[in-house]
Amino acid sequence: MNLTREEIIEAVNSALVNEMELDPASLAPDKTFFDDLGLDSLDMVDLMIGLQRKFGVSLRDNEEIKTVRTLGDVYDFFEKNQAMLTAQAEAAKRAKEQAQEPPATPGN
Amino acid sequence: MNGLRRVVITGCGVYSALGSTPGELFDNLAAGKSAVVRAGEEEHFLPTAPAPREPERFRSLPRTLRRAMAPSACFTAMAGLAAMQDSGLTQDDLTALNAGCAVGSTMGSVSALREGYSLVISGQSDRLSPMHFFKSASHTTAFNLARTLGLNGAIYSPCSACASGLQAMGLGAVLIAAGQTDVMFCGGADETGSEVSGSFALMYAHAPADGDLTESSQPFSAHRKGLVCGEGAAVFCLEERERAVRRGAKIYGEIIGYASNSGGSGLSQSDAPAIARCMSDACASAGIDPADIDYISAHATSTLQGDAAEAAAIREVFGDHVPISSLKGHLGHTLGASGPLEAAAVFEMARHSLLIPTRNLVDIDPACAGIDHLTAPREKTIRTFFKNSFAFGGVNASLICRINA
Repeated sequence: MNLTREEIIEAVNSALVNEMELDPASLAPDKTFFDDLGLDSLDMVDLMIGLQRKFGVSLRDNEEIKTVRTLGDVYDFFEKNQAMLTAQAEAAKRAKEQAQEPPATPGN
Repeated sequence: MNGLRRVVITGCGVYSALGSTPGELFDNLAAGKSAVVRAGEEEHFLPTAPAPREPERFRSLPRTLRRAMAPSACFTAMAGLAAMQDSGLTQDDLTALNAGCAVGSTMGSVSALREGYSLVISGQSDRLSPMHFFKSASHTTAFNLARTLGLNGAIYSPCSACASGLQAMGLGAVLIAAGQTDVMFCGGADETGSEVSGSFALMYAHAPADGDLTESSQPFSAHRKGLVCGEGAAVFCLEERERAVRRGAKIYGEIIGYASNSGGSGLSQSDAPAIARCMSDACASAGIDPADIDYISAHATSTLQGDAAEAAAIREVFGDHVPISSLKGHLGHTLGASGPLEAAAVFEMARHSLLIPTRNLVDIDPACAGIDHLTAPREKTIRTFFKNSFAFGGVNASLICRINA
């Protein structure tokens, strides 16, 4: 994940339009997810699952993402944390690959 | 009905391969149309009878409702909304009445189950949406209907495979008769899929994809080779009679009898003595004689054993005096939806005084003979009709309705 703020905004907004069927005109950074955009906590989980996939990162154990209130908070979160999230994803991928490697056979 | 109060039907909605209104369903059945096509799923080449599933059909449901719905719940919601509109009751009325619902299906949603376990098995459980539970839960059709109609009464979801829908109607009638509630939306819904069709195929109970597929479902026929799975939904508004009369509601008919039982030991085999007892018990609960029945809408799914057992039971209880047909030659076996969906068709048959024959029934199996099979349309006034539904696990259910009570 190595995106400009504009690319992050486009990715997040397209998820909201396509998955949550929101009007693109309603998507401004100061809009709150619950009160302004009419989403609920289950929608937020779905949104994050979609963004995880889109960005190739994992948000499951991230505490900060659980505190977002506005659309701008989400843009800021990804802009600020993308390097860390990408490093985490790559480390997790390496750990998974290592776990899948067959153990060395003694004597070889 | 055994109970203090009488129960009438004041609304009906359907969603099916052959129509999304009872009138359209009747027209297509009367025209002899078949819903059966080749299964679109590449891993299974079996005949199937799918209902329309294009997402645009369900766009009228708000996203906040639709997000928790797989096709089975969408079918139910569409049928339920139509039933509510037909009943003349508004969402505000239903809320004030603490109306409830009972809707059953075979296994919630086979497509949502597949989507979920496919992700888990392929190591992608981090892609599982929290909505998977709501889409695939065994009671998904019932609670999604309650949310759609704003029902704040009891939610029940009989889960008895192909008898689910008829048991839901019977349950609703029993609850209203007993004074537990005044209004219940009751019905059944189901989805077909390779897991479902394949299960029947493993038991040699599914029709093969040979020849003209529209002839593959042949209830009571000497040439039948098994059933064809279909899908859809039907929902009725059940209401306490005095209340319905007071408000001047249109009344389709009254549920006058209901019984459900089992043979106590069966797994997949039908049990003719238990079916006969179920039908006799339904007559007893209605306080009528079998000779009072004008038409029987059979469960007959086109399986070798099931059709023969039902025919034997009908022969024992009714002799050869009551006209009988199965609509599964047209619709396939719509599983948990079949009882209510076929009952909805019978109300239309009654309105037109026209009995629709069993499609594809030319040569009657001698094992199914001795009863009054409809092999051609017959004009007849239906005053009282019988609907049967049976299911794996030995579940039997029979419902008796009287038209225009």
